[in-house]
Amino acid sequence: MLKAGFFLTTALAMGVAATTAFAGPEKVSGPGHDPECFAPWNDEIGYFQWEAREGPHKIAVVNGFVGNTWRIQMIQTAKAFVEQPEIASQIEDFKVVSTGTDVAAQLGAIEDFINQGYDGIVTIAVSPEGFDRVIRLADRNDVVLVPFDNVLDTDKVMQVNEDQLEMGRMYGRWLLEQLGDKRSGKVLEVRGLQGNSVDRDRHLGFREVFEPAGDWEIVEVVGNWDDGTAQKVTADAIAVHNNFDAIVVQGGTTGTVRAMLDAGHPMVPIAGESENGFRKQLAEYGDDGLKGISIGQSPGMVAIAIKAALAALDGNVMPQLISLPIPHADYTEMEAGKNYWPDLTDNFFTVNEFPPCGVNITAPEIMAKDAEDVK
Amino acid sequence: MENLQIRLRQNAGILTAIGIFVLFYVFYNFNHPRGFAPAIFIQNSNEVFTLAMVAMAQTMAVLLGGLDLSVGAIMTLVNCLASYLLVGSPLQIILGFIVCMAAGAACGFLNGCIVVYGRIQPIIATLATGAIFIGIALFLRPSPGGNVDDDLSWVMTNDLYEIAATYGFFDDGEAAWFQPIAWFPVPLLLIILIAVLVWVPFSRSVTGRTVYAIGSGEGAAYMSGLAINRAKIAAFTLGGFFAGLGGIYLTLQTSSGNADIPQAGAYTLNSIAAVVIGGTSLLGGIGSAIGSIFGALILRTISFNFRIFEIDPLMQPLFEGVVLLAAVSLGAIRVLRVKNTLDLFR
Repeated sequence: MLKAGFFLTTALAMGVAATTAFAGPEKVSGPGHDPECFAPWNDEIGYFQWEAREGPHKIAVVNGFVGNTWRIQMIQTAKAFVEQPEIASQIEDFKVVSTGTDVAAQLGAIEDFINQGYDGIVTIAVSPEGFDRVIRLADRNDVVLVPFDNVLDTDKVMQVNEDQLEMGRMYGRWLLEQLGDKRSGKVLEVRGLQGNSVDRDRHLGFREVFEPAGDWEIVEVVGNWDDGTAQKVTADAIAVHNNFDAIVVQGGTTGTVRAMLDAGHPMVPIAGESENGFRKQLAEYGDDGLKGISIGQSPGMVAIAIKAALAALDGNVMPQLISLPIPHADYTEMEAGKNYWPDLTDNFFTVNEFPPCGVNITAPEIMAKDAEDVK
Repeated sequence: MENLQIRLRQNAGILTAIGIFVLFYVFYNFNHPRGFAPAIFIQNSNEVFTLAMVAMAQTMAVLLGGLDLSVGAIMTLVNCLASYLLVGSPLQIILGFIVCMAAGAACGFLNGCIVVYGRIQPIIATLATGAIFIGIALFLRPSPGGNVDDDLSWVMTNDLYEIAATYGFFDDGEAAWFQPIAWFPVPLLLIILIAVLVWVPFSRSVTGRTVYAIGSGEGAAYMSGLAINRAKIAAFTLGGFFAGLGGIYLTLQTSSGNADIPQAGAYTLNSIAAVVIGGTSLLGGIGSAIGSIFGALILRTISFNFRIFEIDPLMQPLFEGVVLLAAVSLGAIRVLRVKNTLDLFR
């Protein structure tokens, strides 16, 4: 009897899939809900609409790798965000798991939350491929799956990210502005983790703007988005090339600036990430002529992903790929306690807020929070 | 009676592992809103399959008294290879399976030859070959991608009913006699088949027993006239084959190949943990690949519970480590009953 019961449920569930008439969002045309916050990636992006359902909802965050500041900050932001009264009232149950770098474990965790009857699952995908099965399952069970940050190479799910190409272009535009009339010289480019789409896109965006603008010799080194590595490769590059006219760093900016100062390299414009350390340096050495712009991939993105999942569950029309505004500040805008924090450590990411989306959790608020008091 | 006692004592490691697994898994299912449902079994067996295979692969080297650091790399290499080969006509797909399995076995064979003829310690030999295999995997798939037959990857990661329904067996899976088994997860069935059809015959063959003998005392095995070299090469080849099966399954599960270096490393380390939890001695000569399957199950089941209970996400690795340590310590409980201190060294 029990087995027959087993069979029936499976047969019902599987039967739907076999005929490929699975549920999931309906493809609709734009414009979407709250475009200030959920901006479509471009004009060609499609729109999804799920059937509206009664709250409160069950939401899960399935993180992959955990162990760097960015990810920890992301998790803390997620927890702080769902505690805000306005969001808390929409959420019945909230869980965060980290599955490590193992794709099978991440797929398993997502599938488990689908089976547990969660309504929305946000995730940082371990791999840009391989999620077809869970997407199929999520659609069949009407679960809103939202990959963000490391997104998937598919247009079948709603995703949230900052435009990495545009970030690269911003590096390029700002440096050109700073260089004024100078249209030739040597530029150092410190790249990120090889083989990663973020690294590729920032690089391409930068080159797209920068290269045609003048006669540049661009020296490329690999800094792995890490302070220590970036410092070492920058020091090596300065030792070999003596002088650069500008520097662009994808991550580990604090290390690059340190190497530049240590080598007694003249102060040249630097375009870098949003690490607190870099911003502290911009404030401290601003008088000595250090100029820089700090542009960041925000861990606060998780809050937008959660918010997007909730909006979708309310039956709103949502863009398939949501582009977030890219938070940035240059050396003239450094304000202690506002966009950088002199008494906090170097390696957390200063940008965490997205005012158009009502995400107003600042970085120190999060890092100060004891993991224990947010449950 | 006497006989039963001896058998129990000989299999204490694996029995402890089974006990721990059953405890954890029943606990997980009781607390899961849809516990004991086929969908949960399917999901869990999907998640465990690749690790179970890689753990079986690791067992081969451990039984010899060594460690194989290339199992994750072989899995990754076959994963990348399979992401090209598991499409097309049925004949092409079958050929693809054979090529992938052969590739895994060939990697293992290479390991075995280097260990035997190069006279290099397995841990060092496989460190090197692992890097080579990852290199080939990266060459095959510089960026993640690939293409796998949709139906195939769907049915292999579901229950038996789905196979019948998709390919039109047994009245599309509706045949009355088929119903009692239709809910059974395909990956679980495959694990059982591989264990029964590959591991059991091997472990009972002369070559298999020679592997145990080498692990217990290589000198004694040699003096007894056993074919040591052949057994070592066979063990590594079988290990490569198991790791390759894991890679094939990962491909079916993800419909893609990914030369992910951290992931390969994670699988290698987890495989060693699974082997130890499964009651196989790192000194060699004691244990079985079936124990390692349960070791893999235990490893996975610990993290299953994070999805049910409120455990702070940043505390999860700590919690996992503590439970793991407790599980491994249970395996070492025999030490308390040792009468002769010299037994501690065995």
